[in-house]
Amino acid sequence: MANTLRLYLTCIRNTLEAAMCLQNFPCQEVERHNKPEVELKTSPELLLNPVLICRNEAEKCLIETSINSLRISLKVKQADELENILTKKFLRFLSMRAEAFQVLRRKPVQGYDISFLITNYHCEEMQKHKLIDFIVQFMEDIDKEISELKMSVNTRGRLVATEFLKQFI
Amino acid sequence: MAVMAVHQFAQCITCHAWSPDQSMVALCPNNNEVHIYRLVEDKWEKVHVLQKHDQVISGIDWSTRSNRIVTASHDRNSYVWNLEGSEWVPTLVILRLNRAALCVQWSPKENKFAVGSGAKTVCICYYEQENNWWVSKLIRKRHDSSVTSVSWHPDNILLATTSTDGKCRVFSTLIKGVDAKDSKKGTSSDSKFGELIVQLDLSSSWTFGVKWSPSGNTLAYAGHNSMIYFVDDVGPSPLAQNVVFRDLPLRDVLFVSERKVIGVGFDCNPMVFAADERGIWSFVRYLGERKAASSGPRYGSQFSEAFGKFYGQSKHGVSNDAVETSRARGTVHENCINCIMPLGDHGTLIRRFSTSGLDGRIVVWDLENEQDLLEL
Repeated sequence: MANTLRLYLTCIRNTLEAAMCLQNFPCQEVERHNKPEVELKTSPELLLNPVLICRNEAEKCLIETSINSLRISLKVKQADELENILTKKFLRFLSMRAEAFQVLRRKPVQGYDISFLITNYHCEEMQKHKLIDFIVQFMEDIDKEISELKMSVNTRGRLVATEFLKQFI
Repeated sequence: MAVMAVHQFAQCITCHAWSPDQSMVALCPNNNEVHIYRLVEDKWEKVHVLQKHDQVISGIDWSTRSNRIVTASHDRNSYVWNLEGSEWVPTLVILRLNRAALCVQWSPKENKFAVGSGAKTVCICYYEQENNWWVSKLIRKRHDSSVTSVSWHPDNILLATTSTDGKCRVFSTLIKGVDAKDSKKGTSSDSKFGELIVQLDLSSSWTFGVKWSPSGNTLAYAGHNSMIYFVDDVGPSPLAQNVVFRDLPLRDVLFVSERKVIGVGFDCNPMVFAADERGIWSFVRYLGERKAASSGPRYGSQFSEAFGKFYGQSKHGVSNDAVETSRARGTVHENCINCIMPLGDHGTLIRRFSTSGLDGRIVVWDLENEQDLLEL
C-alpha cells in the first residue's frame, strides 16, 4: 500500500515539474487586465491538455495548465461514510482560510475535494520546487489527518457508548 | 565554468539591455520602471530610473549607434528615450493598440522598431521628421493569437514573428520614405508593407524567441513542447528541422555564430545547439555545471525500507517514510531565464553574452574557455 502511494506522488511531482512553466501573460480579451487563463478559458490556444493522474477510482489528481496559471484538483481517499463527512468538514475548514495559503483556491473544482491555483506571480515570488514540495506534502498529510480524525471519533464514540451502557449493569 | 560574472540586481527581472559600450545595463525589476546601472569601480550603481509606464515593462532595447532606448509595456504604450545632457527624455509612441505590448526590437539600421502585442498585431514604428514624432503602422489580421517575439532580418526589411498559436511568420516591412534607398537595390522591391512572405507551422504549442542568424539565412525559434526549430533558406521553399530535448521548454534563443545557437528557458541553464557539416542541427550540452543530486534509492522495496529503519535513519536521509523532496537545481540561475543578450561587437561571431531571469540575476557568460564549443 505504501509503495503505490510513493509512485502516485512521484508521478504527480514529475508532472507538476513539467506543468509549472508559467510566464507573465496579459489578457487577450480584456484591455489592461492580467487574469489566470486556466480560470477564464476564453482563448483555447492558451490552454494545454489536462492531465488526470489516478491512483484508483476514488483517489485522483487533475492538473490543468495554461500559459500563466495552473490548477491542481485533488480527490482524497474516502473509504466509508464517516470519512466522507470528515473530509468534507476538514477541507471546507481549510478552504475558508484560503488567503493564508496563497495558492489554495477558495472553492474546489466540481467533482473534487480541494483545488489549488498557481499563477506566474507565485512562481516569481516563491521557489518552484518548494511549491511542488508543498503540494505533495499536503497530499500526504491530508490522508494522515483524516485517518487520525477518524480514529479519534471512533475512540470518543466507544468511550461515550461505554459510559452510556454502564447504567444498565 | 563559462560564467564570468553574476550580479543580483532585483528580486525579479523581466528584461534587460546593454548600452553600446557595455558600461551600463538597463533592466526592468518586474514593475513599471526601468533601472539603469553603471559599473563604477567594480560595483554596479543605479544612475537612472525611467518612470513613464503604468504597468509592467515587457521589452527593452538599446540601440547601438544612436544610443536610444525603446521600451514596451503592458499599458499598450511605447516610449523612445533619448539621452539629452545627463537626462533621459521620453517620447511617447502611440502604438494604436488595445492590448498589451509584449516585445520590442530595433531594426538593424535603427530607423524603425517592431512591437509585438496581445492585440494580435505587429506595429512597425518609424520617425517622421516633419511632425517630430514616431508613426506606427500596423500589420493587422495576420496573426491568430498574441505575438510573443519579433526579430529583424539583417536587410532591415523582413521581420519574423512568433505567436501563441504556434506559428512563425515572416513579413515584409517596406515603408516608403524610410526604406526608399533599399527598394531600388533589393530583390524584395516587389513586396509591400505587411505582406506575408513565409508562414511556418511546425509547432503544436506556443512559440517564443525567434532569431535570425547573422547572415540572415537561418531562422531559429523555440516551442513550448520542449522543441527548437531551425529553418534554413527561408524563402519560397524553406528547409525545416526540429530538435527535441528532454528537459523543460526554452524561452529565448541567440545565434552566437552561423551554426551555433544558445537556448535559455525554464531549465535555468543555457543549452548549446550546433549544426554539423551537412547542416543537421543537434543538442550539444548544457553550459552551466549541474550539481549531482544526492539522494537515496528512489524505488526501494518495502523490505529495504524496513531494513533502513533498523540500520538507522542516516543511511536513507532525514525521513525514511517521506517521498524524496525536489532538489534545487544547483545552477547559476535559480528561476526561469527569460532573456539573453549578446555582449561585445554584434558581429558574426559572439563570444560573450548575458542572461537575466526571474530570480533577479544577470549572469555574463564567456565561451572563450570552452574548447569543445569553439571547435564546433
